[in-house]
Amino acid sequence: MRKTALRWSLVVTLLLGAAVAQQKTASSAKAATTSSAAPTFDPNRPILITGAKLLTITQGTIENGVLVIKKGKITAVGAVGSVRAPANAQVLDAKGMTVYPGLIDSETHLGLTEISAERMTNDLVEPSDEIMPNMHVADAFHAESQLIPVARYNGITNAIVAPESRDTLPGQDSFIQLAGADATQMLLIRDLAMPLNFTGGQRRNESFATASYPQTRMGMAAQMRQAFTDAQTYVVKWDEYNKKKANAKPGESGPNAPQHDLKLEALLPYLEGKKPVIIKAEEPSDVETAYALAQEFKLKVILNGLTHSQSIYDKIASWKVPVILGSIYDAPKSWERYDTVYKMPAELSKRGVKIAFASFEAHQVRNLPYAAGFAVAFGLPYDEAMKALTLYPAQIWGVDDQLGSLDVGKTANLVVANGDPLDVKTDVKYVFIQGRSMPMVNRQTELRDRYSNR
Amino acid sequence: MNIIACLRLQRTAYALIFLIVAGSVGTAAQQPASFTASHSGKNEFVIKNATLLTTTHGRIERGSVYVKDGKIMAFGTTVNAPANVTVIDGEGKYVTPGIIDPHSHMALDNDVNEATNPVVPQMLMKDAFDYNDKAIYRALAGGVTSSLLLHGSADMIGGQAIVIKNKYGLDRDQMLFPGAPQSIKFASGENPKRVFGDKKQLPSTRMGNFEVMREAFTQAKDYQRKWDEYNEKVKRGDKTASIPNKDLKLEALNQVLQGKMLVQIHCYRADEFLTEIAIANEFGYKIRAFHHALEAYKVPEAIAQNNIAIATFADWWGYKYEAWDAIPWNADMAMKAGVRVAIKSDSDDYIRRLNQEAAKTMRYGAATEDQAMQMLTLNPAWIMGVDDKTGSIDVGKDADLVLWTGYPLSTYGVPEKVWIDGDVYFDRSLPGLGIPQFQEGQG
Repeated sequence: MRKTALRWSLVVTLLLGAAVAQQKTASSAKAATTSSAAPTFDPNRPILITGAKLLTITQGTIENGVLVIKKGKITAVGAVGSVRAPANAQVLDAKGMTVYPGLIDSETHLGLTEISAERMTNDLVEPSDEIMPNMHVADAFHAESQLIPVARYNGITNAIVAPESRDTLPGQDSFIQLAGADATQMLLIRDLAMPLNFTGGQRRNESFATASYPQTRMGMAAQMRQAFTDAQTYVVKWDEYNKKKANAKPGESGPNAPQHDLKLEALLPYLEGKKPVIIKAEEPSDVETAYALAQEFKLKVILNGLTHSQSIYDKIASWKVPVILGSIYDAPKSWERYDTVYKMPAELSKRGVKIAFASFEAHQVRNLPYAAGFAVAFGLPYDEAMKALTLYPAQIWGVDDQLGSLDVGKTANLVVANGDPLDVKTDVKYVFIQGRSMPMVNRQTELRDRYSNR
Repeated sequence: MNIIACLRLQRTAYALIFLIVAGSVGTAAQQPASFTASHSGKNEFVIKNATLLTTTHGRIERGSVYVKDGKIMAFGTTVNAPANVTVIDGEGKYVTPGIIDPHSHMALDNDVNEATNPVVPQMLMKDAFDYNDKAIYRALAGGVTSSLLLHGSADMIGGQAIVIKNKYGLDRDQMLFPGAPQSIKFASGENPKRVFGDKKQLPSTRMGNFEVMREAFTQAKDYQRKWDEYNEKVKRGDKTASIPNKDLKLEALNQVLQGKMLVQIHCYRADEFLTEIAIANEFGYKIRAFHHALEAYKVPEAIAQNNIAIATFADWWGYKYEAWDAIPWNADMAMKAGVRVAIKSDSDDYIRRLNQEAAKTMRYGAATEDQAMQMLTLNPAWIMGVDDKTGSIDVGKDADLVLWTGYPLSTYGVPEKVWIDGDVYFDRSLPGLGIPQFQEGQG
């Protein structure tokens, strides 16, 4: 009896899907530029995904599995037959498909750029000063960016948005969800971490004639040290003021308040260790200098980059800090073998480091999983690669109670694809964010459809 | 008749004349063939039990390839080879033709653009070829055996390219592809207008871009006429004949007009493909390929009808306004309309994993394995005019081969060995760089 009901709802779903597809064609003929197609599933009814291979991340792989989504959450996960279908469930027959948690990109510029070469479409970094902790990407985040549906189309459901690394302290990152009616819905966590860039690219050393401070790495470090020192002094001054003010007798003219300084105030949560700094450095000397600076001020650290730091991987592992893997596509140094950087994820993982992948991209965020796949080709265990796209970043960004695995109670951010998520040939069929089926259209599918149907 | 119409008519007349001339000249100028063709070229071996992706004859499971004297002597489920020949076991592995990148600027030591004039066909990329550049090694380790090293796109008419075999570790002239036709780079769109517009020079618009080209070819024809008149006078024994100046720039343009160069045009927008085709018809030269060609899917028929190939990215987009309409289905849609499609890198990064880029055409659209392989090997070879020598596993072709650890049209396939002209130039199992020919102190 129940089986019949399931089949029936499947037919309904398919019919609904066909209607949607027709609608899509019609609207694309009108040169629609926004993703407006109706979702395939009613978010107010439970969804039963059945027959798929489930990459749960925390409980291994379930070859012939069932997953239930209800009210935006995952409410059941198990083998076929072990899970009861909820009444009124819409069925997604996912036989031959692979289901996995929505991918998390640990550094993007989504919402900060539209067309790289067109300056007015870019809000990537404020280069007027090197110390800009009071810049908040949330203030520039463009929720309607055409790049976001393109990234989502490939199963990226969450991302860190970071400023470009031109400044040593370019501002504060946000953690987003790649779906929502507006920026408020998409910006899940504002100002959750602060990049601390120390790759050398932050020097203002174009030429001796035009160079300005900091022209060198010494300058970069000194300038940052001064900034954190100023922030410490700032705290002391305000403490003194508050104490004096509290002790002032009624009628007495109280103490003069110190000037407010937004830049220094922005540094306080980091000095207090409440939020992490993300140190981006590539070569051993830079990693050690920046890490020492962070130690000096007792900062909570996430490492980023490390592309040419093979010689200190053991030391890095001993620090017990998580690592955002610098792009494995970074060019090797002239003395390095062609695969030195490709092997970085495997080498760090082998040493027990918690790793997460990032695209460092905006337009090509969609290609995030392929870096993980390529790292597998160069020795990273497959399960670690999947974790470094899901569970580990969720842990690093403090959202693993909601995201990063197919576990009951977590937010239903998940992907249904026709194969291995890490292979370039795999086609993503459905993306769910908070249990809502995302329209599988974007600017590019619309152009495709328009010119296919000329 | 106004003066513009008059000029147009003149151009049409010229176009007719030069069509005839081009037709009679026919064969393209070639790189000199005097240098050594390969390192030893004497190896003889058989790769056995591998899956062959031949590109021209489909997939052969448990296949063999027999190589001798730098050439593919035989291939198939079995081959006739001497009993004592070296055998390489390809069990569980794949063999493909070497990948060919028809658009690269590596090994030019950043001397990619002579951007001081929008017309510089007298630039020879060979003069800037930094053959010790490690980028060649990294491309080789990604299975790329040949590359077209092009002038940049700052100029409407750029310099003359070189075709190389990626024999990292050898000398400059040993890397040049013997007998490869001469290619020249043209550009269009945003780059020339930005470069010269920023200098407050012509061109700063697409109108300016194309007029600069017409002007250059018109000058070239006037120049050629002077020489023709002079040569005619000399032939007649006219003692009053005075020799015209020799202008290398206009000489080069006349080589284009005479069909002696393969014209490779950096071009993004649909309307610009059409204008480029019209100008080529007007002056009587042929376009070999549009490079980038991100809007090819909008006018694929016009491109296919003129037998023009495209060398495109798999999925790049949005880096500039003329790349805003790029879609990853471009390659597949153009191919299905009959366009010869190649996937290219234009990047020292992507040249290391072009196989993955080509595999994307199997997902965005439905390119078959053979079609994806053709985009990676045979079609770029055609763009460079070397498809009779390389680009597929065929008897008599150069033994430019890659042995892959896993399926090459995926994220996971990695080259294990790369042969060029039958010599191993990359071997993953070797220590250090994995390059047998590499000498300490190089690079």
